[in-house]
Amino acid sequence: MALYVLRRLGLFAVGLFITSIIVFVVLRVLPGDVAQVIGGIKATPEQVADIRVRYGLDQPLIVQYFDWFGGLLHGDLGRSLITNSPIQNELAEKLAVTLPLCVLGIVVAVVIGIPLGVYAALRHDTRFGQLVGYIAQAAAAVPVLWTGLLLILLVGKGVGLVSILPSQGFPLDGWAEPGKAIAALILPALTIGIVEGAALLRFTRSAVLDAMGQDYIRTAMSRGLTHTQAVLQHGVPNASLSVLSVIGLQIASLIGGTVVIETLFALPGLGSKLVTDVGNRDLISVQGTIVVLTALVLFIGLAIDIAHRVIDPRQRRVTS
Amino acid sequence: MSDSTTPTGDGPANQNPPDGTTVGEGPTPTSSVDDTLVGKEKKRRTRRWGIPAVLAAVVVVVAVVVTVVVVNNNTAPQAAAVDTDATLTVGLVLEPTSLDIRTQSGAALEQALIGNVYEGLVARSVDGSGDALPALATAWKVSDDSLSYTFTIASGVTFSNGTAVTAKTAAESIQSVIDNQYLGSEYLGSVASVEATSDTELVITLTTPYPDLLWALGGRAGLVLDTSATNDLKTTAIGTGPFLLDSWKQGDSLTLTRNDGYWGEKAKVAKVVLRYITDTNAAANALKAGDIDALAPIDATLAKTVDTAAFSLTKGLASDKFVLAFNNAKSPLSDIRVRQAIRYAIDHAAIVTARGDADALLGGPIPEGDPGYEDLTGLYPHDVAKAKSLLAEAGYADGLTLTLTVPSFYGDVLPNLLTSQLAEVGITLKTDSVEFATWLQDVYTNKDFELSLVDHAESHDFGSWANPDYYFGFDNAEVQSLFAQSQVAKTEEESAKLLAQAAKIVSQEAAADWLINFRTVTAVRNGVNGFPVNEINSRLDLGSVSVDKAAS
Repeated sequence: MALYVLRRLGLFAVGLFITSIIVFVVLRVLPGDVAQVIGGIKATPEQVADIRVRYGLDQPLIVQYFDWFGGLLHGDLGRSLITNSPIQNELAEKLAVTLPLCVLGIVVAVVIGIPLGVYAALRHDTRFGQLVGYIAQAAAAVPVLWTGLLLILLVGKGVGLVSILPSQGFPLDGWAEPGKAIAALILPALTIGIVEGAALLRFTRSAVLDAMGQDYIRTAMSRGLTHTQAVLQHGVPNASLSVLSVIGLQIASLIGGTVVIETLFALPGLGSKLVTDVGNRDLISVQGTIVVLTALVLFIGLAIDIAHRVIDPRQRRVTS
Repeated sequence: MSDSTTPTGDGPANQNPPDGTTVGEGPTPTSSVDDTLVGKEKKRRTRRWGIPAVLAAVVVVVAVVVTVVVVNNNTAPQAAAVDTDATLTVGLVLEPTSLDIRTQSGAALEQALIGNVYEGLVARSVDGSGDALPALATAWKVSDDSLSYTFTIASGVTFSNGTAVTAKTAAESIQSVIDNQYLGSEYLGSVASVEATSDTELVITLTTPYPDLLWALGGRAGLVLDTSATNDLKTTAIGTGPFLLDSWKQGDSLTLTRNDGYWGEKAKVAKVVLRYITDTNAAANALKAGDIDALAPIDATLAKTVDTAAFSLTKGLASDKFVLAFNNAKSPLSDIRVRQAIRYAIDHAAIVTARGDADALLGGPIPEGDPGYEDLTGLYPHDVAKAKSLLAEAGYADGLTLTLTVPSFYGDVLPNLLTSQLAEVGITLKTDSVEFATWLQDVYTNKDFELSLVDHAESHDFGSWANPDYYFGFDNAEVQSLFAQSQVAKTEEESAKLLAQAAKIVSQEAAADWLINFRTVTAVRNGVNGFPVNEINSRLDLGSVSVDKAAS
């Protein structure tokens, strides 16, 4: 196990290094640069050239890359080209919104998706079980934007049918006001939870249905268990492996993909920051953000793999 | 987003939520396993308790939610007393990219800091008159030959870091703009010298008369900064204004606090929070929920949903011109008949309606409130037949395909309207929606475009039409000569007359089409008084805004 983790950590480092190069190169291919963005639509070519020199953008690319990568090795993500503020500070501020949002969203998704998924599988031949399946299918097909808008219209403070939950913004003092901070995340997390939960529900349902068709269920029943007992005790644990992988993928895609939710609910999170930075061509900032996101996603992948090995005795026996 | 083009542009465009973004749900894994794969022998007896149980749960949840609702009746009596400890929260659309007033372009930055944190020699009036108002210079005199301006600098003024402001510091500040080619220096080309003749007297000498000098000094060029300070202008600000820059939470808000050492009349609120909300719906929701005291501007369409008993709505002047630019230097738009055809094809009234009925029509390059303005909307009335015959004359009787390059944050309301209006005269419009940075590279710098749509937010920017190197590619000797004369005219009236002549030619030549002149609708909660109305996209003087005690 230790060797396995070590090997994975090695891959992790290589992955990050390759990412850093790809990100660096791809960003340089984007048309336009930060000097033009700063100069705007009145700047003369001379003024733009002047800004370019002032911001160190006239350095050769390879020098720029090693400057940045050298910093990375020291754990320094660099400074924003535009505001000159350290990128890790800004990232920490944005992650303090986005990570809790993702975690809450996934918690809601799991709470909705897994029990209902198992239920829908067990009752797949009843009208209600099928209804759950259909609703999930519909909910997963609805764009996250519409789910969010509907929730705002239902319970958004000042605008909803029942005016109870804040529908935009994050407290100025952040988590120093925990009550307000949590309240600000409820609607967005519910939105994520419903959409992701519906997807998770359908996946869980299929996985459990699949398990239900396996021979070991019949074997378990022949030992005297009821069908439901057999599924819950033997089918669900087997299905849980693939469900776990799906949850991991969902978390990974959420962390970088919250921009729609953040814009809709006016949350100062990572997704919005990334979009703004790309728009401004603040490439150092974008690079730093993407490297951190990649590290997070790789880490989640690692965690899921380790969890698999813990849950599934077969995997432990096979390697190392 | 960053530029002077953007501040208001996405107001109406964002009526649609930002559904163009693609990052949303991510690759949500969905199962493809079909129900029927499961063996039929697994069918179990059905239990019927499910539906009633869930229905009961739904009823309980709804009941709980309804009982939790607190209906707020804001019937508290209005007291006139001003709450000097109040925090004023203002919702704005566009955030400054950086706070560097010297190098970072964009109206959003001027809006936040000029007049609030930074002050200039003079200030621009926002009543449409174009007059200069006293600021750090309490009075000024212009010599008879219009070549020398003598300013009297207020005494007893200090920067927020304690440095005293004298005529010398003011002169150094303006000189540094010229020496470093900071933003605003482009207006100071005719300045021969900036000198402090005493502690309170500053003289600017010109090589030629320049009727726009006071206007220029009301902008970035005339701001007085402490040239000896070493603070990082990108994130901090040391000024003389009624507010101090407290903190900037990027992507969210900018906080100002009252400058208790302010030399003029002190601000009437203790704190101002400028909240940047790009989504127009979220911004309107923030207003309705009581999280912000004012929204400047509110989307014109959403303004109609605001409760006018609790909020007052005002419509303000703005210098924003939504310019449908033609590449005058390149075929087919180098042909005046094609340009004219497009102008005749556009139904401007329909555009105003689609954007919520707030904006004004604009027939030429100079907006109301700027020198040289005159109503030119009659030059190109909506006339489909005329457009068609002009196109036929130009050899495009069988139709013409043009590409419109537009920064994506303007949304698709305007491009869609243009596409359908131009289709009526046989022009197929293809929209190429690009990032603003890409637009700057392709259109602005490389002039690689046919049609482009951008909000030119600056006032007094007619010079672009007299500059053949600008991306419009408009090269007209008469316009250039008239503009050059206007820049050295002895009086503002004379200058305005020349500009009006030049503007008329630009419009007649169909150098572009001016879709609309933006009007900002501002929503302010009752109990908040003195909130600015005009030119709010570039100036937002909050020093005189007060909040009533009962209402805060």
